[in-house]
Amino acid sequence: MSIEVKNLIKRFDEKTVIDNISFKVDSGEILAIVGFSGSGKSTVLKLICGLIEKDGGEITTSGDIAMVFQYSALIDSLNVADNISFALRERKDLRKKYTEAQIRQIVREKLALVGLSGVENKFPSELSGGMQKRVSFARAIVTSPNIILYDEPTAGLDPVSSTLIEDYIVRLKEETHAASIVVTHQMSTIMRTADKIIMLYNGKVVFTGTPQDLMRQDTPYTKQFVTASLDGPMKMLQG
Amino acid sequence: MREFTLKSTITYKVYRQLLIILEDFLSTIGDIVIYAGKVISFIFKRELAWKEIIYQCARFGVSSLPITLSIVGMSSVIVAMQVAGEMVKQGAGNFVGMLVAILVVREAGIIMSGFAIISMIGSSIASEIATMRVTEQIDAIRVLKVDPIRYLFVPRVLSGILMMPPVLVVSSLVGIVGGGIASHLASGLSYRAFFESVWSGLFIKDMNVALLKAVVFGFTIALISCVCGYNAKGGAKGVGEATTKAVVWSFVGIVLWDLLFSIIFFF
Repeated sequence: MSIEVKNLIKRFDEKTVIDNISFKVDSGEILAIVGFSGSGKSTVLKLICGLIEKDGGEITTSGDIAMVFQYSALIDSLNVADNISFALRERKDLRKKYTEAQIRQIVREKLALVGLSGVENKFPSELSGGMQKRVSFARAIVTSPNIILYDEPTAGLDPVSSTLIEDYIVRLKEETHAASIVVTHQMSTIMRTADKIIMLYNGKVVFTGTPQDLMRQDTPYTKQFVTASLDGPMKMLQG
Repeated sequence: MREFTLKSTITYKVYRQLLIILEDFLSTIGDIVIYAGKVISFIFKRELAWKEIIYQCARFGVSSLPITLSIVGMSSVIVAMQVAGEMVKQGAGNFVGMLVAILVVREAGIIMSGFAIISMIGSSIASEIATMRVTEQIDAIRVLKVDPIRYLFVPRVLSGILMMPPVLVVSSLVGIVGGGIASHLASGLSYRAFFESVWSGLFIKDMNVALLKAVVFGFTIALISCVCGYNAKGGAKGVGEATTKAVVWSFVGIVLWDLLFSIIFFF
């Protein structure tokens, strides 16, 4: 087992955004955390990778954690090769481990894995959104992590690019056997990548199951989510 | 009728706003002290990102030289043009070079260079790091287990420490030479008289203090700019606010240092 979250709590000021949630993700498994915007999905990822401190509960992880950010978060002053090799050059425990030739070889391998050979010298601003996302995948897996977190990996991409990214998520799971969490609200991403799902609403888990369970719409929450209806137990902020 | 509550009074709102400003002021000072400690610790442990340091030094030198040369040079020319004619008329022409040299080396060179570097380099550092903050690039660096202080702060602060003294030396030289040319054109004062007067007015102590100031100013400007950028919140508005804050705090910071140097060395 690679990620275990027990009774996790997070508050911002006086508002509880993550309210006592628990789940497990094993190696080689993909958990999709779904829910409408503002339900606390991305906060869970930031808590797991240590970007923010929890206010209660336990997070147990085994091994290296990598994260693919919603807008790629590539360092815009570095070219693609330097972005991918960033951890190998700058991380304290890795920076003297590899020679320059080995680093170049690793960068080539990771770029080939995400289907982007030959873009080593381009800067992030010269790439499309989908290509930036794939470079951020390559950067995430460069340290062979045991856990990969994806924050809205297909948000803002066209349908074909989304399909490509979804395929890479599954492919990376198969090749790395990492435990993965995908935060998303896109049905295609959920159906094509997830082994299991939890749905959050107001920071609480309101559904746990498989993609097939979700599609059966057995609960008011799953029904409202799948049908994208305004009527149901989940109240959206009205504009 | 509107209900009266303490929170609805103007006095309460002003009081609350003042508290927010005070809290921000104290937390910024605290952050500057904490991050200064971390940066110095990395420098002494020699945990340095060399490639980034070299890039930042080159960027500092190339970006700052044109503007510092222009500002310090023009300031000296303006002063020389205004005083040279009058001093020559009063029979004090032999002191024009001394006046310009003391002015440039002790004060105008360093403070004008400081202001120029704040507007050119400090604002650029703050907005760059603030943009990295709001676009999650700093979060990505942290997730990759690289210390953002080592990677972002140390190279920029080191570039300030290492590059500010040579920039000051070059701009001061240009300022003095500019002052000599302006004096000659404005009053007919000979170059020989001007430059002999320069040497008689300059002391080693003045030059050492100026170089020490340059190191301290470079450190201060780069550190404050990094801290303000790093603490940016929100989107484009947050980047703008962080940049403005960096510029204002750097101005105040170097003026306070200048005052302290004057008290210690010239009082």
